[in-house]
Amino acid sequence: MAEDVKPTRKNLMEIEDRIELSERGHDTLEQKRDGLIMEFMDILDQAQDVRSELEADYERAQDRINKARAMEGDVAVRGAAAALEEYPELTTQSKNIMGVVVPQIDSSKVKKNIDERGYGLLGSSARIDEAADAYEELIESIILAAEVETAMKKMLDEIETTKRRVNALEFKLLPELRENQEYIEQKLMEQEREEIFRLKKIKAKKEAEEDEEETVEVESEEEETPERVSADD
Amino acid sequence: MSQEIAVVGSPEFTTGFRLAGVRKFEDVPDDEKPDQLDDAVEQAMADDDVGIVVMRNDDLDHLSRGIREEAQTSVDPVLVTLGGGAGGGGLRDQIKRAIGIDLMAEDEDDGSD
Repeated sequence: MAEDVKPTRKNLMEIEDRIELSERGHDTLEQKRDGLIMEFMDILDQAQDVRSELEADYERAQDRINKARAMEGDVAVRGAAAALEEYPELTTQSKNIMGVVVPQIDSSKVKKNIDERGYGLLGSSARIDEAADAYEELIESIILAAEVETAMKKMLDEIETTKRRVNALEFKLLPELRENQEYIEQKLMEQEREEIFRLKKIKAKKEAEEDEEETVEVESEEEETPERVSADD
Repeated sequence: MSQEIAVVGSPEFTTGFRLAGVRKFEDVPDDEKPDQLDDAVEQAMADDDVGIVVMRNDDLDHLSRGIREEAQTSVDPVLVTLGGGAGGGGLRDQIKRAIGIDLMAEDEDDGSD
């Protein structure tokens, strides 16, 4: 509130400095927000491609496993699934996009040869192998989607935070500071006008006093002059 | 530190992933999803060794609101949903909130034209 600040020149200078700093910060944050949105749009395009590939891979994998179930039976498929020993491993590194740390997920042991799958060459069929292949491809797409979607989530969080800061500066802090500046300027001008009025009053009073003194002096001089005339007579 | 993939859903859903070597899975039969899916997802999300949680998009409807929001906004582990189209995983709402425009809807409309 403007009434909370003391209307002094020191406060006015401080507020002017803060306004300058806030305006500079506001411009920088606006540029950051716009830059983040542009980077986000690039990632969004990539994410949509990855998503559509992921959905296609999922449909293919479902189709393959349904065929395997139909041909080999659910028990055989479950048996093959239970025999696996090697599992996909993920290692996460990070990269920086405009100050936002986003993950880069590397994977290993996703794609496996038939002999690495653990269920043996004789214990399975081509249908199960095809289903396993399709699911390995699906997992690769999932890892890519996870990387891109995590980057999107993090960038969206940062965009939201930056947007909130820009709005806080634009609609809260800067208007308050400008209101305070205006209040102090008005108060100082009012004080200045009062000072001028006071000085004028003092000057007028002094002039009136001086006039009075002069009149008294003239009167006293006039009183003295007739006495002298009478003495000469 | 290396992490793994976890799959949560019906046994039909998880079996395929187990064929590809995924060893962390939570089987929740369809008729028990309203009661048990929350706990299964919570358990998968709380596991430090899990980097990605995979679910069917339709299964999100069985989750309580708190767990669903937590899962959709989580970054470590990240939730990847399958079968939900382009706007899966609550991203669409987050984009609308952050950017102010429904970018996913625009692209879906473009795609349908």
